[in-house]
Amino acid sequence: MEYAIETISLTKIFSDWWGRTKVFAVDNLDLQVRHNEVFGLLGPNGSGKSTTLKMLLGLLHPTKGKAIVLGGDGADPKINARIGFLPEESYLYRYLSARETLDFYGRIFGLAPKLRKMRIEALLDMVGLKAVANRAVGTFSKGMARRIGLAQALINDPDLLILDEPTTGLDPIGTRQIKDLILKLAERGKTVLLSSHLLADVEDVCDRIAILYGGKIQSQGQVKELLQQTNKRQIMTDALSDETVEKIKQLIQAESSECVVTSPLDKLESFFIRTVTAAQQQAQPTSGAVSTTKIGDFLTQQQTTESILDKLVAAPVSEETPQEPPATQKVAAAADSGSEPNEELLSRLTDSTEPPQPVPRVEEKEKVGTQPVDSHPVEQEPEKESILDKLVGRSPPEDGGEQETDKPQAGESGDA
Amino acid sequence: MRRIWAVATNTIKQALRMKIGVVFMVLLLVLLPVLGMTTTGDETLKGRLQTFVSYGLSLTSFLLCLLTIIISIYSVTSDIDQRQIYTVITKPIRRFQLLFGKLLGVLVLDIALLSVFSTIIFVLAIYTPVFTRPSESELIEADNEFFTARAALNVPPADVTEEVMDRYEKLKELDRLPPGYTYEQTIAELTKQAQLAKRAAGVGDMLVWEFNNVKPLSNSLFIRFKYDIFPNPPDSQVYGEWLAGDWQFLKYGQRPKTPIYDQIHKNAARTFHEIEFPAGVVPEDGRLGIAFVNVPYNNSAVIFPPDGLEVLYKADTFAGNFIRAVLLILFRLVFLACLGLFASSFLSFPVAILFCLVVFFTASFSGFVNDSFSLLSHNVGVFYSYTIQWIVGLLPQFDKYNPTKFIVPAKLVNWSLLARCVFFMVCIKALLALILGLIIFRYREIARITV
Repeated sequence: MEYAIETISLTKIFSDWWGRTKVFAVDNLDLQVRHNEVFGLLGPNGSGKSTTLKMLLGLLHPTKGKAIVLGGDGADPKINARIGFLPEESYLYRYLSARETLDFYGRIFGLAPKLRKMRIEALLDMVGLKAVANRAVGTFSKGMARRIGLAQALINDPDLLILDEPTTGLDPIGTRQIKDLILKLAERGKTVLLSSHLLADVEDVCDRIAILYGGKIQSQGQVKELLQQTNKRQIMTDALSDETVEKIKQLIQAESSECVVTSPLDKLESFFIRTVTAAQQQAQPTSGAVSTTKIGDFLTQQQTTESILDKLVAAPVSEETPQEPPATQKVAAAADSGSEPNEELLSRLTDSTEPPQPVPRVEEKEKVGTQPVDSHPVEQEPEKESILDKLVGRSPPEDGGEQETDKPQAGESGDA
Repeated sequence: MRRIWAVATNTIKQALRMKIGVVFMVLLLVLLPVLGMTTTGDETLKGRLQTFVSYGLSLTSFLLCLLTIIISIYSVTSDIDQRQIYTVITKPIRRFQLLFGKLLGVLVLDIALLSVFSTIIFVLAIYTPVFTRPSESELIEADNEFFTARAALNVPPADVTEEVMDRYEKLKELDRLPPGYTYEQTIAELTKQAQLAKRAAGVGDMLVWEFNNVKPLSNSLFIRFKYDIFPNPPDSQVYGEWLAGDWQFLKYGQRPKTPIYDQIHKNAARTFHEIEFPAGVVPEDGRLGIAFVNVPYNNSAVIFPPDGLEVLYKADTFAGNFIRAVLLILFRLVFLACLGLFASSFLSFPVAILFCLVVFFTASFSGFVNDSFSLLSHNVGVFYSYTIQWIVGLLPQFDKYNPTKFIVPAKLVNWSLLARCVFFMVCIKALLALILGLIIFRYREIARITV
């Protein structure tokens, strides 16, 4: 198993009723996704991204060619047990509550009741829907539905995650959270294949990308290599006095190079988040529902996310990551953006001075009415921790189950 | 199995929470007691019970059939339309497991609802005599002719082949064969005439029938009959002398082994009537003879239509019979659930519903449909026998296994009938639909085409 996903001249032709060819949705696609990498399928609308993913999973039959997923057929239940799939929209049973939804999927995976229960609670916590866990998902906003969709994709602790436009319908904050989550999962040895037409998302999380157009790969490679301008150098410092700048300029001119000194630009995403936040704040008085205590919630969630994931996934983390040098360096940087050294690393990689703000001072609009949880973020955190400790860490049978599922994964990341 | 059960419980939740099931349940819960209160039938206790149980069972059966069709189709097509199936089928579950899960869910729901509603009907029927305070004779009549399960013995059409052939030869000799008739048509016409003659009694004539294996459980047995009369007297009334007892005596005048009973009745023509005889008329070997004498003052010939005579005797309890009758409804639902899954494996919701409703109504009138087609077949013989006959044969016969047909006249639903129903309706027709549905569903593309 050299690749987690490999397609061999995969082709999908949609024909009309008489069998006449109408569209080449996917055209002789040769795609390789390595283990433990985040691979992005990029392309404009209708470029064959979703069709490719659906063929990988057996939802569509290829007209020609073959798709090998985790060394087998993507429609085989044995393979499916190791895949988490999030379709382009979270298609959920409207009449089930969030908890029942996850329970249903857990049962389809054949998870034992105890393990299932533990994972459901952990996931609900992780996606921040614990407070509305008993509400029918038909009443959920698109963003909340997306979160449940993501939770169901993770309930089997998959080795391979296939995410079809994971951030559609999410606001910038939700988008940021999903991106962080993807990075964290990659850190824990998961392979992630995602499709998107949102370039910023792909750029932030993917190790390698392929750009599709008309069902064909137009370009593919490592994000860093594709984007790096090797004929230029950038030096990033804190604010400097004009004198120092002059000295540096002289030094550089001595090497007879051009030199431009500016304050670096903010990342578009950070700027966007700030703009949207401001717009949201302006809109709020008219909509009436105001709540400003959400920031803490997101911080809490992120931290819980981390701790829960550590336990849920329980895969080798820091020791094993150096095996994937280019991918994981960046991954680590963005994921742990809260800490000092990573900030540096990240800014080095993304050419930005301002450290990414995973959780800006923003309240998420869609959660305003639905998440009373937010008012006690401080109380909740230790409680979550302890529950998880109890459920995951200490109880022997579940622990055993966890390790079982994790073993092959560790092996794979070694192979890769 | 765990996965199948997960899908099944989800299907049940869907039916209950999407309010499809609830509508039907509320409708039945309201209608059944109302029916119990308002039906009066022909004002006697028996009539009241018959009307109530007839309407109650028919209504329950009809509504549950509709419910089964809708749920089984909706649970699959909505998954595909609303694409929840994308997340379900990409989990470690096989497609047949998904369909089995849906089927199981529908059946569990059906069994639960059918048990509840049939229990309500049963209890209401049992307690009707308590609330209506009928006269003693009405109570006895209800006990004998409703709260019981009576085996029914019919008179098979007489074998007249020999007679017909003789007559044909004779006509041929005399060269008086009807012109323009083929051989088959002539024979069919002659057979019809000969059989009619066997069922007809001229003025003063006696007809004798023999019934085998009569084993009454109670003290009485009943003759259920209908007269046709020609020419029709002004009041349409028929006088008939009925005799019951040892067959050997009635037919050949041998010394009777049983007491012979003799009753004279005056009944209206062209409706069913029942007369009662004591069970003592049945000899030990179970060979019962029944005779009808067309008494001279009728001045008309009396004819019994082909299904116009039955001997009824108690063979089981009402409760046992009622349960078997309800099982007939259940088998019907099993078939419809399988049919619904089959239809939804390749049709969209409205088309699948239409398809199933057509099958349902055709199956409900299968006798009529079969007759019409066989009539048609005279003109399009070859085409018919290779196409329509085959398709019509695949339809189940809901009218043949209609529970009210048995419960209302307190006729026994015997085990062999039940076994036949299971075999044809469930084991062959339902299974065929299910297997076809599984095959189609197994190979179809689940995802919608989006480029």
